[in-house]
Amino acid sequence: MSDLYFRTDLFGELDRLQRQMSDLFEGFPSSLRSSRMGTFPHINVGTTDSTIEIVAFAPGVDPAKLDISIDKGLLSIAGERSTRQPLPEGTRQYAQERFTGSFRRVIELPQQSDPDKVQARYADGCLLITVGKREASKPRSITVE
Amino acid sequence: MSDNTGITQHDPNAMTRSEPDEARRRVTLTPAVDIVEDAHAVTVWADLPGVQKDKLDIRVHDGSLTIDAESVVPVTPDLRLSHAEIRAPYFLRRFTVSEDFDTSRIEAALKDGVLKLTIPRRDEAKPRRIEVRLG
Repeated sequence: MSDLYFRTDLFGELDRLQRQMSDLFEGFPSSLRSSRMGTFPHINVGTTDSTIEIVAFAPGVDPAKLDISIDKGLLSIAGERSTRQPLPEGTRQYAQERFTGSFRRVIELPQQSDPDKVQARYADGCLLITVGKREASKPRSITVE
Repeated sequence: MSDNTGITQHDPNAMTRSEPDEARRRVTLTPAVDIVEDAHAVTVWADLPGVQKDKLDIRVHDGSLTIDAESVVPVTPDLRLSHAEIRAPYFLRRFTVSEDFDTSRIEAALKDGVLKLTIPRRDEAKPRRIEVRLG
C-alpha cells in the first residue's frame, strides 16, 4: 500500500517538474506531438464550457486540399501549401521564409470531446475547428434540496 | 490595530502595473515573407493569417515601407486559451525602399491571409541595353 502511494506521488512530482519546466519556457505546457518551433501551421487551442476551439494559422492554403480527421482522440490537420513555380529567367529571390510543401499537425483532444460534433471553416487564412463536448462533461450547477 | 476597513483593498501598484501590461500587448510578430525581384518590380508576399483588409495598414514614408496588421480570430468571449503558439495578434515588419522604386504605384492584394505587394521600379531604373555607336 505504501509502495503504491509512493509511486503515484513520484509520478506526481515528475509531472509537476515537467510542468514547471515548460512554464519556464513558454507559459503553456507543450506536448510530444507538437514541438513548438518551426512548425506550420501554428495552432492555438482554447476551451469554452461546451466546445473545444482550435485555430490553425494557415494562410494561403487551398481549403480543398485540407484534410481534417479524428482518430482515437487525435485530431489531425494535414494539407499542402503549393510550392512556387520556378522563377522565370532574370528574377532574383531575396527572401524565402514562407513555408511551402505538405504539413501535418496532430492535436490530442481532451477525453470529453465528442468526435461526432466537429465543425471546420476556413477564413482569412485561419482554419477554425470547433469540437463539441459530450453532454455529461458540461458544467452544471447542482441544486441543494 | 489595523485601520483597514475597506472591503476591497486598493492596490498601490495598480497604476504602475497597467503600463507593462499595455507594453506587452504591443508585442508584435514578424510575418514570414518571400521577396522576388524581376526587371519591372519587386514582389513581396507576407503571411498574415487572420488579418482582414480593414486591419491592415501599409505605409510608405521616408524610404521605408511598413506593414502593420492585426489578426482577428472570431471566438466566443468565454474562451480559455490552453495552448498558444501565436500569442500576440499584431504583425509588424519594416523594409527600406530605395529611390529606384516607384512607391506611388505600389499594388497590394490580400487573399486568404497572404499579402502580395508589388512595388514597380521607376522607368529610368529599369535595366536597359546601351547601344554602342561606332565613332
